[in-house]
Amino acid sequence: MFSGFLLEILRSSVESIKANKLRSFLTTLGIVIGVMTVIGVMSVISGFKQYMATSFSQLGANVLYVSKYPWVMGPMSREEWKKIHQRDNIGLRETEALEEYGASFKYVSPSILRNMKMERGDKEAEEVKIEGASEDFSRIINQDVSLGRFLSKDDINYKRHVCVLGQDVVEALFPEENPIGKKVKIQGRQFNVIGILEERGEMMGQSMDNTAMIPYTTMTAFTGKRSTINIAVYAEEGEETEEEIRWILRGVRDLKPGEEDDFSINSSEALISQFNQLTSTFLMISIAIAAISLVVGGIGIMNIMLVSVSERTREIGVRKAIGAKSSEILGQFLMESVVICLVGGFLGILLGASITKLISLNGNIPFHIPIWSIFLGFGFCFSIGVFFGYYPARKASKLSPVEALRYE
Amino acid sequence: MSELIKMKDVTKVYPLGETEVHALRGIDISIKKGEFISIIGPSGSGKSTLMHIIGCLDVATAGSYFLQGKDVNKMDGNQLADIRKEFIGFIFQDFYLLPDVPAWYNVSLPMIYDRIPPKERKEKAISILKSVGLGDRVNHLPNQLSGGERQRVAIARALANEPEIIIADEPTGNLDSVRGEEILEILSDLHKKGKTIIIVSHEKYVAEKGNRKIHLKDGRVEKKA
Repeated sequence: MFSGFLLEILRSSVESIKANKLRSFLTTLGIVIGVMTVIGVMSVISGFKQYMATSFSQLGANVLYVSKYPWVMGPMSREEWKKIHQRDNIGLRETEALEEYGASFKYVSPSILRNMKMERGDKEAEEVKIEGASEDFSRIINQDVSLGRFLSKDDINYKRHVCVLGQDVVEALFPEENPIGKKVKIQGRQFNVIGILEERGEMMGQSMDNTAMIPYTTMTAFTGKRSTINIAVYAEEGEETEEEIRWILRGVRDLKPGEEDDFSINSSEALISQFNQLTSTFLMISIAIAAISLVVGGIGIMNIMLVSVSERTREIGVRKAIGAKSSEILGQFLMESVVICLVGGFLGILLGASITKLISLNGNIPFHIPIWSIFLGFGFCFSIGVFFGYYPARKASKLSPVEALRYE
Repeated sequence: MSELIKMKDVTKVYPLGETEVHALRGIDISIKKGEFISIIGPSGSGKSTLMHIIGCLDVATAGSYFLQGKDVNKMDGNQLADIRKEFIGFIFQDFYLLPDVPAWYNVSLPMIYDRIPPKERKEKAISILKSVGLGDRVNHLPNQLSGGERQRVAIARALANEPEIIIADEPTGNLDSVRGEEILEILSDLHKKGKTIIIVSHEKYVAEKGNRKIHLKDGRVEKKA
């Protein structure tokens, strides 16, 4: 029987909200905006997290990159920045030292990345990410060839003009033929195609297959021998390897005990943790904004419920006269404020989801709405409805029937 | 017939700023089951206050009030609400219908608080509306009804929980004499069916309907007729 009563006050709440459509809508706007923010932010963050996770995995798990510059930099002074900038470049000398002395790691490869144009006859592939690498690189980043072969030791040693192409480049330059053995041009130089890389697919609207790999010894023809490079090391032993790399690098760069490292050892894990730190800050700020807007929304609800109670004083009197208990009047008004809040929450979720979807479609970012954020949104709205609706509802329930009936 | 209402030395004092208003100054009345009572008196005589106390909308400042042998003065808000729900049906001068819901829903309102299931509620509301001659008006909103019809809806609402007592506060006050007669006719019929009717009015022709009159003046019962 009690659930029948609940249903009845639910029905009458919906009726009274419908009777004041515009007012109810304006009242609930704060809630709508708050929930929309929560849903939007949650979706964006969870989408980005997913994207970054896959994106970083392209760098390879367990891969350390020795570079002149650190990937993760906190705020730093001009002097600190200058000091990093003035470091000696990382070059082939360091690569050779790592190859020679490394004990806890097997695979070492320079990683010299440039965006360049590739041509074949009248066909072109723009902005191809061309990687100068060694024969180990395929194992380091865990990407094999689907056809032909990868770079070999001899290709490196003899500075051969050979290349392994990514799927997109193949499609652009060799739409209808087998590229193996054919020639392509990179900035006017001829390269023999020896293999095709496995397909990696798309990430955030960007193809991961617009790539080519050539021997790093050949790459230096484009970049010059002096420019700084990254060295990728496949580190199965983690920390131990990092320590070993440090000592080899310090040795080859003649650092004295007590001197600071003049190089950086980077990893995708560090990037991920930096990213996570960033998103959690972002999340906190957004939640604070959403919380403020929900509280403001709640105050709006309280305000309009107080208006509603005073407008309907006569009705309250009538209901009491025909036998409504105070608790039943309380329940009725509480239900009304909860329903307004939940409607607001529903609209907010809908709007948040639509906006997310829209961004997702335009930017090809795989945003998705975590289910728990929907429950969180509704939970918040319910609590706000109860919290801010209680005072007006209580006020209604405490009205004396005689005074309520006399109210003009 | 048994004593339904028994009041002894009931007073009601309202605070009004620094001073007090003595609305009732010692009322002794007893009403038997099945009576048709008119409470009459000029405005300010305390008849509305007395009606509120009889109807358990308000409680006396002092004195005793027994309703069907139960001491009303000792009841809390919930118990008073239960009494109103089960024993008393109110009819007001201004009808006091909810404007946004149809006639049948207005009539069914008391049954909501009596936890009657929705289907039964609606059926019963419609059958009561038929009994007051509004069988063809069940889905009309109050503002689609004439004054007389609205008051009949209000009577139907008062009857919804089959109360022992019907209390009507100036039930004809907002109606012309023809419609007023119709309303009084319905109340007389209810009296004949055994309901206890209490009408509060300052209009003579209304008061004449009662088979006993209680005259109030300055918060006291003037004489009993």
